[in-house]
Amino acid sequence: MLDRPPLPSALQSVPLVRINGLNKWFGAVHVLKNIDLTLRPGARVVVCGPSGSGKSTLIRCINGLERFQKGTIEFEGRSLGKSDRDAAMARRLTGMVFQSFNLFPHLTVLANCTLALRRVLLKSAHEADEIAMRHLTAVHIPEKARAYPAELSGGQQQRAAIARALCLDPRIMLFDEPTSALDPEMIKEVLHVMIALAKTGVTMVCVTHEMGFAREVADEIVFMDQGRIVEHASSSDFFSRAAHPRARLFLDTILSH
Amino acid sequence: MSMLDIWLGVLQGLRITAAVTAYGLVFAVPFALVFGVAQFLTTGLTRFLITAVIEFWRSSAVVVLLFVFYYVLPVMGVTLSAMTVSALVLGLNSGGYASQAVRAGLQSLPAGQREAGMALGLSRPAILLLIELPQALVAMSPTFVNNLIQLVKATSLVSLVTLTDMTFRAKEISQTEYDPVAIYSALLLAFFVVCYPIALAGRWLEARVNPETGAPRGI
Repeated sequence: MLDRPPLPSALQSVPLVRINGLNKWFGAVHVLKNIDLTLRPGARVVVCGPSGSGKSTLIRCINGLERFQKGTIEFEGRSLGKSDRDAAMARRLTGMVFQSFNLFPHLTVLANCTLALRRVLLKSAHEADEIAMRHLTAVHIPEKARAYPAELSGGQQQRAAIARALCLDPRIMLFDEPTSALDPEMIKEVLHVMIALAKTGVTMVCVTHEMGFAREVADEIVFMDQGRIVEHASSSDFFSRAAHPRARLFLDTILSH
Repeated sequence: MSMLDIWLGVLQGLRITAAVTAYGLVFAVPFALVFGVAQFLTTGLTRFLITAVIEFWRSSAVVVLLFVFYYVLPVMGVTLSAMTVSALVLGLNSGGYASQAVRAGLQSLPAGQREAGMALGLSRPAILLLIELPQALVAMSPTFVNNLIQLVKATSLVSLVTLTDMTFRAKEISQTEYDPVAIYSALLLAFFVVCYPIALAGRWLEARVNPETGAPRGI
């Protein structure tokens, strides 16, 4: 696990996000069942589990991309209900990285990064460029600032997407299978960037099947199956003695490769 | 009259043809944008009503609309000039077609584009203006060029409401010179001379746009 300075005790006690009794249906399909989850500041949580277990839907509820029918999500004690304004608040506090990058193809990498800085945070062009270049440098693609997304490799596109999310200085970074659409070589460069990001102390929730990354970076593992959290343990406990049979089976299958 | 005289005679109507096209665009472009976007964004009854307006303009015969607006509206106390009636009817008919290209262009974008905009905290109007429309309009530009060419050709109908366009001139000439082959060949050529450069300009525009990314290159 990564070393990093301990948080002041006052901060540790206030959860950043508290999810209580969350339930969501897609039509008749019950995709999230009574989810309880607390994220403290600085937490590095990996959410894993079989396909269709509700992992992506869970993190999409946190930033309001998905509405939910029952339960509560609180950001620093403020309840996130079901209105548009609540969703806007959640999105201001979270950065999101998607499986398929979702860069804007008609804008340069730099313009992708500065769009929200200028239109949402109302920064000047100069200041926005400066912030964006700082983050593009951190993900090692400052030379691609003037390129269009289609001119980048998949790994570079995903790193640009990470930089774009970081530009808004989010309190929490959500990753939705960020390496699932990438070749093995490119997975590595994206994971390196994510590991470096973890060292900065930012709160991260990452849906991923990369167990090596989970072992190295995560301090908590959430294992989901059929819409429920069936195992929630510290990283070391999860890998050494996951209790739930479904989690054990998952680990055995994934780690035997 | 020589073939050249006939052709030059027909071209005397070019000013009206061009004017109806340009004036028609004043109706067509806003209609296509507003109704295409509205149909994309709305649901339920609102969408039904918007679709009904689009279908009225798109599915009615242009000749019939021209007659109705030119001859029937005055009976109801509304008198519009032949030029305004022509531009309105042709423009909204063309705009009806183009609105479907706008809507289809918006619908064909991956949902991830809108979601990425939402995740960055952009408002719905900002997502539409800064992310969705620029991509949709570029993707649909060949269709818009098609619509423009069709609008030019449809102006041949305005001769039915007394405007002296190229088609009207051809008819006038045919009344003094009985030479339909030469006259209508000249008219055919005149329309080709007007429309072909538009097609070429459309192709040039497409070539300037990166087909992979939809990213503009030097426009």
